[in-house]
Amino acid sequence: MADFIRNPVVRLPDPDPEPHFSSDELNFTSDEKDRISAWVRQYPTSDGAVMWTLWLAQEKFGFLPPEVLQLVATELGLPYAQVYGVATFYTQYYKEKKGAFVLDVCTCFSCQFTGGYDILAYLEEKLKVKRGHTSPCGRFTVQEAECLGACGSAPMMQVNNGPYAHHLTPEKIDTLIQAMETGQPLPFVSITLPQDEDEMGDNRRSDADAIESYQTPPQSKRTQ
Amino acid sequence: MPQVIIDGKKYQFEGQPGLLQFCLDHGIELPHFCYHPSMSIPANCRQCLVDIGAPARDRASGEIQVNEDGEPVIQYFPKLQTSCSHVIADGQVIHTARTSEKVKDAQCDTLEFLLINHPLDCPICDQAGHCPLQIQAYKYGPEGSRFEFKKVHKPKKVKLGPRVVLDAERCINCTRCVRFTDEISKSGQLTIIERGVKNYPITPPGVSFDEPYSMNVIDICPVGALTSVDFRFQARIWEMASTPSITTTNAKGSNCYLWVRDNLVLRITPRDNPDVNEFWLPDEDRLTYQRFNEDRPAGPSVDQNTEQTSWDTSFQRVVDLLGHHGQNMLFIGSAYATVEDNWMLLQLAEAVGGQVAGFIPHVDIGHGDGWLRTDDRTPNGQGCERLGIPPLDLPLWRARIESGEFDAMYVLEDDPVASGLCSLESLVDMDVILHYYNTTNQTLPATRVALPAAMVAETIGTYVNESGRAQRVVPAKVIKGTNRTLMMQMGLSRADRHGTPFDRWHNESHYINCKPSWEIIPILLEKLGVRDVPKGPRKMMNHLSEANPAFLGATYEAMGLGGVQLSSMEMEVMG
Repeated sequence: MADFIRNPVVRLPDPDPEPHFSSDELNFTSDEKDRISAWVRQYPTSDGAVMWTLWLAQEKFGFLPPEVLQLVATELGLPYAQVYGVATFYTQYYKEKKGAFVLDVCTCFSCQFTGGYDILAYLEEKLKVKRGHTSPCGRFTVQEAECLGACGSAPMMQVNNGPYAHHLTPEKIDTLIQAMETGQPLPFVSITLPQDEDEMGDNRRSDADAIESYQTPPQSKRTQ
Repeated sequence: MPQVIIDGKKYQFEGQPGLLQFCLDHGIELPHFCYHPSMSIPANCRQCLVDIGAPARDRASGEIQVNEDGEPVIQYFPKLQTSCSHVIADGQVIHTARTSEKVKDAQCDTLEFLLINHPLDCPICDQAGHCPLQIQAYKYGPEGSRFEFKKVHKPKKVKLGPRVVLDAERCINCTRCVRFTDEISKSGQLTIIERGVKNYPITPPGVSFDEPYSMNVIDICPVGALTSVDFRFQARIWEMASTPSITTTNAKGSNCYLWVRDNLVLRITPRDNPDVNEFWLPDEDRLTYQRFNEDRPAGPSVDQNTEQTSWDTSFQRVVDLLGHHGQNMLFIGSAYATVEDNWMLLQLAEAVGGQVAGFIPHVDIGHGDGWLRTDDRTPNGQGCERLGIPPLDLPLWRARIESGEFDAMYVLEDDPVASGLCSLESLVDMDVILHYYNTTNQTLPATRVALPAAMVAETIGTYVNESGRAQRVVPAKVIKGTNRTLMMQMGLSRADRHGTPFDRWHNESHYINCKPSWEIIPILLEKLGVRDVPKGPRKMMNHLSEANPAFLGATYEAMGLGGVQLSSMEMEVMG
């Protein structure tokens, strides 16, 4: 968003893009069709199922070029334009090809305050890729994201529209990238919600021991 | 009867009217952008906010609470409501910007937000002068701008389709165009993409906005975001005069306005008529305006000679030919001409002892869509049939003409060669008299006498659409020569009516040298010695509405601007 404020230009999408998938590839299996029709049945009209179906298509094809949106529209019996409008509204739907790992680094208020831009710059340097772009190896896409709703554990980022990585530090980034490159599961970090604190003996952070790089008081101020 | 109090005044209502429409119907102006009476209500422009209260009720008893004066206690909604989506209920009290500072401030603030990224290009914008955003910004908006940052730049002059251009910066995202394609024309070709400050309407990749009703989005766009490829930058709105008329591209007879500057028709826009076309007009009706301006004749011609022919000499030649051929002349009516013109042709044929054989049908099977486009590409086929002029069986009549059965032919406002009634060669030995509109008429080379006829934009007359609705037109542009009847019917706002040759808008080069057929034929009748010919179209229709049961009640007064529904022809036959 910061770039947009400096240079507020909205570009016209390519009106006639080259298709990425051949017509042989563009179809849903019968299993996928069953899942789609199950979603359609949950709603009075089929446009209720458009987001589910887009999600399914993104998992299947990796991203959502126009021909995939057309496929979704045909499958649901909706206007192609409507599906296109929904897909462009949400940044989580990828309209162009992304890397195998999409790293959405939050740079909104709380994360910015606690070093979100430092994390972003560190990632850019480490992966040799500019924000908004995909690394030459095609494995990593680094993006700026608006608030992802985890201010309590800022700075943070989201990986592939899924797991959150909290309390980021350069060391933690190194571990994460290592895990991604070697294909290991990402290290899991559990974050407690404030309403659970009483049950946890006022310990705000279940992973307090695991953190070595930077320490915050593990005890809430109420007990002091 | 239930009632509401709007700005301190009581109004009674029935049913469940929407507040905004109720106010508009009662002459209470409320600013709005996204609301359109024929489409769904998204309430997304937030411009029609009002303060709404209802009588407070006692929770236990359900009684309406009253204060010391016996007046009901009014409980207001905690926040302002959009009047478009609010359904009125009995006893509600509504404050608009006229009686509520809160509403006034809210409407002003909404406009300030809408204007933040709106470009200040009103001086070159086609919508300026009839732009709801411009008008409402003046009336309800803030005085200046407090926005000191760069405005967002969005794509400009994007050709959405062959007829519509988008300027995304001007868009205020009211979604009227998207709802039109979703709900009215059902093409679903437009959508709003992106979000927040980045959003604007567009077609998805690979799709062209080419549906046959696409240009309606230009009319309903409350800003200048959607403009016509054709009309873009052609004229300012205040330079043109608009005249109510009807379209003659098909048998629907959709109501329209003809916009004229310098005596040239520059565009055609829809005119509301709930009985015919509601608010809409197909693109084919709008794109025909050039035929009113281009390829128009220079004057009457006799033996292909225009320069040395006056109207008088051509009339004399026609009378000579009528007298010479008489019964052996083939009279052909026209579904393009008005009821009055065709009726006059009937009188002429009768005067020389001939008969009107019929009119040339222009039917394009499969062109119609059951809405505003019809298979019949003429405006007045029904009017001809009601006069007793049948559609011609083309192959049959082609054979008869080519066998040399007729010595002469009198054609009213049509093109027998182009429509396949006869070939140009078969007319070589015939004396052809033709009333015609455009010099592109393919029958012209074969004519003995060619008489330029006034088109729908220049004449007065009645057309009967396919469902039997009689509608009259008034002249939108001036023709050469003086015709008092036409001048009297000219719209009073016409600049060129009151202009003089010294005014900058005065341009006599665009006056077409033509005459309405209802003026030409009575002159011929008079020369033939026929008396008591009704003078002028109004008297003709008065006569027809009494004498011919198929036109019962179709006087000019009854037709007005909305037309009058005639009883169906089958009933006439049975009766």
